[in-house]
Amino acid sequence: MPEPIRRFASSLVAIALALGAAAVIMLAFHANPLAAYGALLSGALGTRQGFAETLVQMTAFLFAGLGVALAFRAGLFNIGAEGQLTVGALATAVVAAGLHLPRPIELPLCLLAGALAGGAWAAIAGLLRARFGASEVITTIMLNYIAFLGANYLVSGPLQGNVAAPETALISPTAMLAPIVPETRLTAAFPLAIVIALALAWWLRRTVAGYELRAVGRSERAARYAGIDVRRTIVQAMAMSGGLAGLAGATEVLGLFHRFNVQLSPGYGFTSIAVALIGGSDPLGVIFSSFFFGLMQNGALSMQALAGVPKDLVSIVEGLVILFVAANWLGGRLRLRGTASVIAPGSDELPAQGAAAR
Amino acid sequence: MSGLLSVVTAVVAIALVKATPLAYAGLGGVISENAGVVNISLEGMMVGGAFTAVLASYYTGNLFLAVCAAAVAGGLMALALAYFAVTLKADQIIVGMALNVLGIGGAAYLLSAVFGQPGASPQVRSFGSLSHASSGDLSALFTNPSANLLFWLAIALIAAVHVVLYRTKVGVHLRAVGEEPRAAATAGIDVARVRYAATIIGGMLAALGGAYLSIGEVNLYSDGMVQGRGFIALAAVIFGKWTPLGTAGACLFFGFFSSLQIVLQRTNVPAQLFEMLPYVLTIIAICGFIGRSRPPAADGIPYEA
Repeated sequence: MPEPIRRFASSLVAIALALGAAAVIMLAFHANPLAAYGALLSGALGTRQGFAETLVQMTAFLFAGLGVALAFRAGLFNIGAEGQLTVGALATAVVAAGLHLPRPIELPLCLLAGALAGGAWAAIAGLLRARFGASEVITTIMLNYIAFLGANYLVSGPLQGNVAAPETALISPTAMLAPIVPETRLTAAFPLAIVIALALAWWLRRTVAGYELRAVGRSERAARYAGIDVRRTIVQAMAMSGGLAGLAGATEVLGLFHRFNVQLSPGYGFTSIAVALIGGSDPLGVIFSSFFFGLMQNGALSMQALAGVPKDLVSIVEGLVILFVAANWLGGRLRLRGTASVIAPGSDELPAQGAAAR
Repeated sequence: MSGLLSVVTAVVAIALVKATPLAYAGLGGVISENAGVVNISLEGMMVGGAFTAVLASYYTGNLFLAVCAAAVAGGLMALALAYFAVTLKADQIIVGMALNVLGIGGAAYLLSAVFGQPGASPQVRSFGSLSHASSGDLSALFTNPSANLLFWLAIALIAAVHVVLYRTKVGVHLRAVGEEPRAAATAGIDVARVRYAATIIGGMLAALGGAYLSIGEVNLYSDGMVQGRGFIALAAVIFGKWTPLGTAGACLFFGFFSSLQIVLQRTNVPAQLFEMLPYVLTIIAICGFIGRSRPPAADGIPYEA
């Protein structure tokens, strides 16, 4: 079986198994799985508003999922998308509230602020990995909490723009993304995310930098022998990954919330790890998987309202999907990352400073 | 003078109370990682333990059964981790992520499905008296040992894990499997069996940390009550250099900071900056700035026989 088809099949199998297992759980609690999934689907796809909202949820998953997927391709595990999203959203909110420029200048600047902030936050983990061999798994987990607590502090102190709540000031009207479908929350962020996904797919396949990134992901050692600057590639991959997560936060602020508040994301960044895995770490695959997760996220509410099944069931489905993808029952290559040790890579791949720092 | 003394004892009391759940989960992490299995699902297992303890206490009213039920729940989650990580040789970080999502989502689902109320469970029978210590009464920890069972059990476990790991044959086998699984296998040690056992015991301990939160410190389960403590415990394992005593020390250190933050609430120091400290220090530690922080050599790597 060709690799992309096998991977697609393996994702479908994982999703089917997870939905099946969740159905068994529902039966155990005397709920009707068919009614629940029916309500989920009709809520997420049945009406124009519902479908638009599915795409709204999909947009955040797509941006952040692309970020995690890109890091995977470089052999890096970015668990920090949620923190990068937070930092990006906060930076965008601050810039968008402060600037009062014509829309064609202001909007790109605000998006750029989010991408740069998210990228810089992730680049810290990239630099520490490249310089000291510090595992990006650990540093991105820690950076997540530093971002949450830092943002929490800033919006309840120095950056508080609303006396009644811990959030920043309202952004200027020229920075707001308007709905592109009337009576919905769907903005231009959605087509932008699709375009970026396509561009990224092209970049990975057709450019030298994209090739170098994939080469480092396959084997750092081989990449180094081929003359690729592995350290630079690692930092660059983390920065791009964080930049994409930052864009998820930026578009939430510009299109939906119009300010930063700490409850902005229901865990888009964390879920984006599952999005990237299901999408086979391929930008085109991530388009499909982000649609699936957008559908689940949005449909969960109708499932709860119409079928009386707690919306948290979708978290169970999500967890099971990740588990089943990890099990890799269809065989083949699931090695998303290099063979470097998980906690302190550098063990075999970045010997010089890596070993010294260990 | 007596004012200062009472502040000091309050800080110590709260630090001990806050450090204990971290120590359970941290010890769990130490055991599995020394055998070569990375457990980033300590958080999910704490959630599982916290919820299950409340569930069992609700139905049986028996605290001993509640603690046992929590340990079983954590052990089962860890069994899943071991099956995927050891038998299927799946990526341990990805499996750990999945178990975190399952633990947190599963508890939220069951909260609605069993108790019919999202957010928090009804109040259940609990050890209770830890609440005195957590409000700053140090003597409460000593006057009623049975009520503070989970606290004293943690102290005993820290010593026990240290002794087992460094003074017994079982400990040598466990560390051999984490450092050099191939050599260990050649010496006749069953690598998979040791890894299964270490992972399951680790999960049981993490779940006890969760039970401590739900039926030790308070008397119910609420969504978000574990609040990243599993990840702080993971940080403590690294900060404590993968040793039980070092990890317990790191937990105490982190507990001390959350205690200071509670005591200093009335001053102008932002609480969030205190809370950040464990995470910042862990990043510094893993970069090698605070001595050598080196994991077991085969940590996180499936063993290919």
